[in-house]
Amino acid sequence: MVKLRQIDDYRWEIPREGKMRTRGLIFCSREMLPSIQDDQSLQQVANVATLPGIVGPSMAMPDIHWGYGFAIGGVAAFDPVDGIVSPGGVGYDINCGVRLLRTKLHRDQVTCCMEDLVNTLFNNIPSGVGSRRQDFKLTGSAFKKVLRDGARWAVQQGFGEASDLAHIEAGGRIEGADPDLVSDFAMNRGKDQLGTLGSGNHFVEVGHVCEIYDPPLAAKLGLFQDQVTAIVHTGSRGLGHQVCEDYIKVMLKASAKYGIELPDRQLCCAPLTSPEGKNYLAAMAGAANFAFANRQLITHWVRQSFERVFKMGPRDLGLDLVYDVAHNIAKLETHTVDGRPRKLCIHRKGATRAFPPHHPEVPEAYRETGQPVLIPGDMGRYSFVLVGTQQALTETYGSTCHGAGRKMSRHQAKKVARGRSIIQELAAQGIIVRGAGRATIDEEISEAYKDVANVVDVVHGAGIAKKVAKLKPLGVIKG
Amino acid sequence: MKGRHAEASPRGRRPYRQMPHTADLAWRLWGETLPRLFENAGRALSATLTDVRFLRRRETREVSVASSDREALLVDWLNHLLYLFDIDGFLGRDFQVATLTDERLEARVQGDIYDGARHPAKTAVKAATFHQLEIVPDNGGWRATVVLDL
Repeated sequence: MVKLRQIDDYRWEIPREGKMRTRGLIFCSREMLPSIQDDQSLQQVANVATLPGIVGPSMAMPDIHWGYGFAIGGVAAFDPVDGIVSPGGVGYDINCGVRLLRTKLHRDQVTCCMEDLVNTLFNNIPSGVGSRRQDFKLTGSAFKKVLRDGARWAVQQGFGEASDLAHIEAGGRIEGADPDLVSDFAMNRGKDQLGTLGSGNHFVEVGHVCEIYDPPLAAKLGLFQDQVTAIVHTGSRGLGHQVCEDYIKVMLKASAKYGIELPDRQLCCAPLTSPEGKNYLAAMAGAANFAFANRQLITHWVRQSFERVFKMGPRDLGLDLVYDVAHNIAKLETHTVDGRPRKLCIHRKGATRAFPPHHPEVPEAYRETGQPVLIPGDMGRYSFVLVGTQQALTETYGSTCHGAGRKMSRHQAKKVARGRSIIQELAAQGIIVRGAGRATIDEEISEAYKDVANVVDVVHGAGIAKKVAKLKPLGVIKG
Repeated sequence: MKGRHAEASPRGRRPYRQMPHTADLAWRLWGETLPRLFENAGRALSATLTDVRFLRRRETREVSVASSDREALLVDWLNHLLYLFDIDGFLGRDFQVATLTDERLEARVQGDIYDGARHPAKTAVKAATFHQLEIVPDNGGWRATVVLDL
């Protein structure tokens, strides 16, 4: 078992040992430890610490669990000259992320039509196993524009408002994307998947603000008690999965070629200065932009669904974007290390960027609050809105947790759900759920997830994000 | 059915079985020969996504995959099947591996185009991975483990 040393109530250290180049730093509470120690995720944190050019500790957020290569919940920074980039540090669903929309509606205004709204969303946004759009296929030059320009392309096509872009991480476009480095296989997989939700833990959720922790911050984020909100959680679909797969193959060869000693084959990587490393970053940026465009298109159909069901115009609905964050990504960012600014490649795999007030990458509207951080929970409980902090910037390269994390395997969850009607149980709690298949709904039952409130309490307690509000679901569409 | 030996080649039993894995899904697969093992892997993948009994045999795909070694070939084969599913919804019901070396696989797959109205949706798969991947001799046949990222 991996050695752990407690630092304080929320921090644990894996001391530097053997081939580790740095220490591991885990954010969690004592109560979380047994379940974290259940899988190999702490070993994965220690393994990442052995990679060349790592700067600062190999970190993990409280929602840490086993992932391919890097643990999910992992954060690691690498020097642009001596360091590496690894597809396993990003994951298969490149730029899987979350966006939050607010409305001008009070929850009492929507109870009448929730079923109608959920059905309309379900019809407008293809979801589930094999979801694709019949009405919308990407070809040649348009496809390349999506990969280059992300959400910016979507807005140019009339999907959403220019003001949306200011409220998306990186403006909805990661620079340096090169469509020519995205394989034809990946493009083929993505061609009719733009504007689809996919399956698994992805969802569109209509909810309401059920608790406010910090009224001034909530007001600045445009949030009020009992306000109706909408969350979109999805990523880059088959296109991103294929980019990851393509570059895992490239990196397996590259690791050998550059003599990088790997404690685990899944950590295959390449130097950031190598053609393989640069190509992956450029292809990954393309997939990330596809995901930004995907969430932007889905937002358009969310807005349309609200307009249709409530027979209200955009101005009265006020479906504005609060923020959109990526939680599976590698990015070149500037951070202060030992008192001087340094460009670093930050891997966030199942971790959310959490920049503080006055950071240049935080949009105007949030200069005083810090960047909104969106942490979705399971479909039966709640999600959280937080903001980034100075503590996060200095300690975790401006990163925090991303979600709840599974407690049960899908197989176990289905067993637990057997003989029950999850849809009826949730309806009894006032949550209307529609999914493409019974299986996904059963696999996604509340009990299968850890309580996201515990995760959020740790990051709030540790100061690497600040709680603003809690949202409860009213209606959910599931893949 | 012969014995309850967990690792025995399961004659008469379904040649694939799910293993516990919290975040993802692991399949334990068997085959009397390597080609049968690869065919069973294809079936297990279709069975992950839907109930294979509802798949008709009305479309054919000729598949050719090349890889660096036998285990990588299994991953690439499954990922190619996922690719076919993503591009037009094709899901295999019958798998016939015609040629199989350590580096190359040629197969003919017969199946159906996935239609949510006819085919119950099960679990979506992002990719087959190298995690815990193995192909080993087992009771005169072959056994494999492959983990799918969901």
